[in-house]
Amino acid sequence: MQAKTFTMADLVRYTLVIALLIFFLFPIYWMVATSFKPPPDVLTRPPKWTFEPTLVNYIYAFEEANFAMFIKNSLIVSLISTILVLVAGCLASYSFARYNPGAGHLMFFILTTRMMPAIAVIIPFFVIFKTVGGTAIGRALSLGLDKPGALVVCYTVINLPLAIWLLHSFFQDIPVELEDSARLDGYSRLQVLWRVVLPLAAPGIAVTAIFCLLFSWNEFLFAFLLTRDVARTITVGVAGFWTQRGILWGPLSAAATVCVVPMMIFALLLQRYIVRGLTFGAVRG
Amino acid sequence: MDMTGKKAPAEGKVRKRAISDVWYSVLLITPATLIILFFALFPLFYAINLSFRHVDLTSAVGIGPYVGLDNYRFALNNKIFWESARRTLIFAVGAVSIELVLGVAIAFLLNQLRWFQGIVRSLLILPIASAPAAVGLVWRYMYHPDFGVYNGILAALGLPEQNWLGDVRLAMPSVIVFDVWQWTPFVALIVLAGLQSLPKEPFEAAELDGASTWQVLRRLTFPMLAPVLTLVFVLRAIDAIRLYDAILSLTHGGPGTATETLTYHLYRIGMKYFRLDHASAISLLFLYVTVVFTLVALRSMMRVQAERARRA
Repeated sequence: MQAKTFTMADLVRYTLVIALLIFFLFPIYWMVATSFKPPPDVLTRPPKWTFEPTLVNYIYAFEEANFAMFIKNSLIVSLISTILVLVAGCLASYSFARYNPGAGHLMFFILTTRMMPAIAVIIPFFVIFKTVGGTAIGRALSLGLDKPGALVVCYTVINLPLAIWLLHSFFQDIPVELEDSARLDGYSRLQVLWRVVLPLAAPGIAVTAIFCLLFSWNEFLFAFLLTRDVARTITVGVAGFWTQRGILWGPLSAAATVCVVPMMIFALLLQRYIVRGLTFGAVRG
Repeated sequence: MDMTGKKAPAEGKVRKRAISDVWYSVLLITPATLIILFFALFPLFYAINLSFRHVDLTSAVGIGPYVGLDNYRFALNNKIFWESARRTLIFAVGAVSIELVLGVAIAFLLNQLRWFQGIVRSLLILPIASAPAAVGLVWRYMYHPDFGVYNGILAALGLPEQNWLGDVRLAMPSVIVFDVWQWTPFVALIVLAGLQSLPKEPFEAAELDGASTWQVLRRLTFPMLAPVLTLVFVLRAIDAIRLYDAILSLTHGGPGTATETLTYHLYRIGMKYFRLDHASAISLLFLYVTVVFTLVALRSMMRVQAERARRA
């Protein structure tokens, strides 16, 4: 380690770092600042840098635009799909890590499905949900268009490949010897999975859960095309401020802030694992 | 080995297996595989079926008779299709190359920081975590020709103001800048993780041998980083050609069709004009290209995994 003095090179480096941080953080600052601006200050030329902070934009978003409903929808859809993904994902991923069925090909196929452009499969999805929504089963499971069940299905399908790959990297870290000795102690294979493997993989499962929540919460395309009204999620709700009469920038910034900030906090909590999650477990941070 | 403190079953022998390991492993993957197969294959076959018929949901025809390869012929002979494909390529090449160069540079810069490295790294996560559809709209506001902050800054500096998203030549670069803002940190963080996991010994040896910085970079750092760089390139490229949220919130494909990429073109034909036959044919062509690219490119992901397993 070099001496802890501030050198000329450091000065250059930190100047660059500050410039970078301004570029990457300024839009977030501007979003939050706009959300607290009084309506007349939102549309000024040139834009105002100082203003009297107010909550009117938030009040408008929640009282006029029913934003609480979008948040509720997003929460329901994200949570249920995440639970489904974790159950199916843990079983499959453990099996891949321990027994490798399909010799890698099946797991690879699963990854490729994640890379499909959503827009290319949206028409069949649209027709499926339109058809199923009219049937008794569809109504019971709320699977039709503009129903939360439809989005739960979509997000489960989208997030499963991510979960399987990410969990795989965590399951691989668990020494097989632990499982073997538990087997020698007379545990059945399912007991080994439930009592030994899953508790040891708990951090990985938590990380996977947060990534699934993040992707479901941020998803826009399916939510936009498969919902109309009562099942709209938060991202579609934000876009809803783009109205016939123009874009309501103040309430929109408030809504965007409500949408974005919780996920930023999640990401900060996750930061040790963020690289691992974003690369489907391939690179460790 | 008792994790819960409950009474352990009889010790000393492995309980008799009701089913073999193979069946057990297949049983475990069944739920996930069924979900994925059903929802990957059903839409695929459905789209294939539609792509060979005449389908127009806005007319009385509805889902009409089979028309052979007409829809594919229509797509491939359609100038608008090729133009949107070209724009997709321009966007992907532009955005991904800037993100890679800038991201790698930032990774090297962060790796040399002696103070606050952790904080800077955390702050860079923020753009990645934000929903593109939501921040895209915020950027639309910032790009606004009259009330936008970017023109405000230009004016304050005495520079000419721009119509960022309304000018045919500027619209695509503006969308690219948005993508660069959101995804450069992704590249930087992954490359940084790659840099920090490189073994120390070869570098110490090179220093003893008096190798120049350039030689070390060319002979050691980049070859050893290659799997991570390939991976990050593949992930970014796949996402860039699928770009949709940003286009919808920033430009709606405009001005005119200046930023209409393939995904937006598909959206317009399928979900606005309800010509599901043309849309299906185009999406299958698009799907075919992305799947081939993915199959080839993702092998690198497998290589990174194998590399890690070997090192462990």
